[in-house]
Amino acid sequence: MSLVLDHVSYSYPGTTQGLHDISLDVRTGELVAVIGPSGSGKSTLLKLVSGLETGHSGRIALDGEDLSKKPVHQRHIGMVFQSYALFPHLNVLDNVAYGLKLRKVPTGERHRRAQELLDVVGLGEYARRAVAQLSGGQQQRVALARALAIDPRALLLDEPLSALDASVRGHLRDQIRAIQRRFNATTLLVTHDQEEALTMADRVAVMQDGRLLQIAAPRDLYEHPASRAVAKFVGLSTLLPGTVSASDRVNVGFAELAAPTGARTPGTAVHVLIRPEHIEADPPPGSANRLTGRTGAQRYLGALTRYDFEVAGASVPFLAESAWPAREAIGVSPAHVRLLDD
Amino acid sequence: MIRGVALFYGLYLLLPIALLMVGSVGDSWTNTLLPTGLTGRWYLELWQDPSFRKAFVNSLVVALAACVINTVLAMPLAYALYHGARRGGSLTARIVSAMPIAVPTITLGFGYIIVFNSDWLPWLGSMPLLIAAHAIYTLPYLTNTLLTDLRHLGLERLEQAAATLGASNWQQFTSVVLPSLRQSLISGLVMVAALSVGEFGLSNLLTSFQNRTYPVVLLQAFYGATGFACAATVILLLLAGASAFLSSSLVKPRS
Repeated sequence: MSLVLDHVSYSYPGTTQGLHDISLDVRTGELVAVIGPSGSGKSTLLKLVSGLETGHSGRIALDGEDLSKKPVHQRHIGMVFQSYALFPHLNVLDNVAYGLKLRKVPTGERHRRAQELLDVVGLGEYARRAVAQLSGGQQQRVALARALAIDPRALLLDEPLSALDASVRGHLRDQIRAIQRRFNATTLLVTHDQEEALTMADRVAVMQDGRLLQIAAPRDLYEHPASRAVAKFVGLSTLLPGTVSASDRVNVGFAELAAPTGARTPGTAVHVLIRPEHIEADPPPGSANRLTGRTGAQRYLGALTRYDFEVAGASVPFLAESAWPAREAIGVSPAHVRLLDD
Repeated sequence: MIRGVALFYGLYLLLPIALLMVGSVGDSWTNTLLPTGLTGRWYLELWQDPSFRKAFVNSLVVALAACVINTVLAMPLAYALYHGARRGGSLTARIVSAMPIAVPTITLGFGYIIVFNSDWLPWLGSMPLLIAAHAIYTLPYLTNTLLTDLRHLGLERLEQAAATLGASNWQQFTSVVLPSLRQSLISGLVMVAALSVGEFGLSNLLTSFQNRTYPVVLLQAFYGATGFACAATVILLLLAGASAFLSSSLVKPRS
């Protein structure tokens, strides 16, 4: 089951907000995460796929079948909501069995399957409990079991972990991913949490203002962001405006850095991207891209300290990470200075 | 200070009820602070009075009928208002909510008299008209109760979840909306029954001699013996009290 969005556009009635020409595909068994700031259109995207929102142009197809004309209840797409949306008048087992009951699966068979799914999400013993007796994390696992019970053609996860405590979130993240793999479910995950997206997804799509900025594997996205907006949204970084001054040289105003400029000609405006883990504290004098200055704000994170390093003339401090903050200078290997073209 | 006010208010509320109860078993009560003598004859007389027994049955019939009609009307009405309010039809919802407070029963009653006392619609004093009037009068209370619960439950999310699991609109209504509202429907209906049983203004204007409801007949009692009037009032009190008790025991708190 592959999910394909082909030039999908949508605008909310009476506004210019919405989606602009989104094309992406989710391959069978793949988990694609859609991230972006609030208002970027990621939730709208999910609603269009589920059918809860209608009226788009372009094509949304599941295994080659156009979904546009199908109402929500005939799409056979499982969905997990941020607010769990479990039915309060049904117990845990009957919540999971709800979709099977609609499909007229006989009672015994229905309960057996629901129990099976509850065992998969680790809540087999909670079958007869009232929904309200469960914690948030448990409720979300029930919601996942309920969505999987209908043997969905695709699975949509709408901020599934956002309502949960940080302590529960990490564990549930792994569990959801493991279950998704086990069922080989073609999955679209919407989240505003980049860490969630990077850790769970096979590929991550970054959206902003209703447009798809980039879709790539987590590592590619982090190491080779296509634009400044993606770099800003994915991971921490220092971004500096600059100009290519010569082959493999970039002028950032207060200094000239060595960086691979590729085919860019001198005079080309670029942005310089440096990730905090690539900044070296107190490199020996004379090494490449050595900048002197002083350490500003520090955040102790255990194994690492993340700190600001202020260089005279720089409009923003450098964000760096190392076991000990730099005393007087920082350095970056030229290979780790990335240039972005906008 | 607050405790003092509460105590005073409690006395103000309970003292008449207590006096009614005392009076209903008092033999004679004229120009004294408390009645003298103990008797059960007022209750016996009440039981033997056919007009009171008839009125009691009438009140129950009207209340029950109002409940049935309201169930059929209020459920879809509240549901439509809930979905309409999110689409900008909140004015209708507000009008429905405010109606019982804004329109006095006497206004409603006079309206009925004018319309149904004509040659075209000569139904004044008939039982169906009385039932209809009670249903209209109590409908907003039930609708409001249901509407509050609909909003509180965030039913839209549940409907969306049901839809993704394969439920059509009708299936969403029957398998999610109706069961979720069961509790508030019961408590709302008990309120409807209590309001209908105790309603005087409308009934007094609209009933014929044959169809008088309990509160209307009760008024007559106050022209007779005090003890009899007290006993008759206590019966009404018990009826209303039973409704209230029923509502609190039927409605389990939502955990």
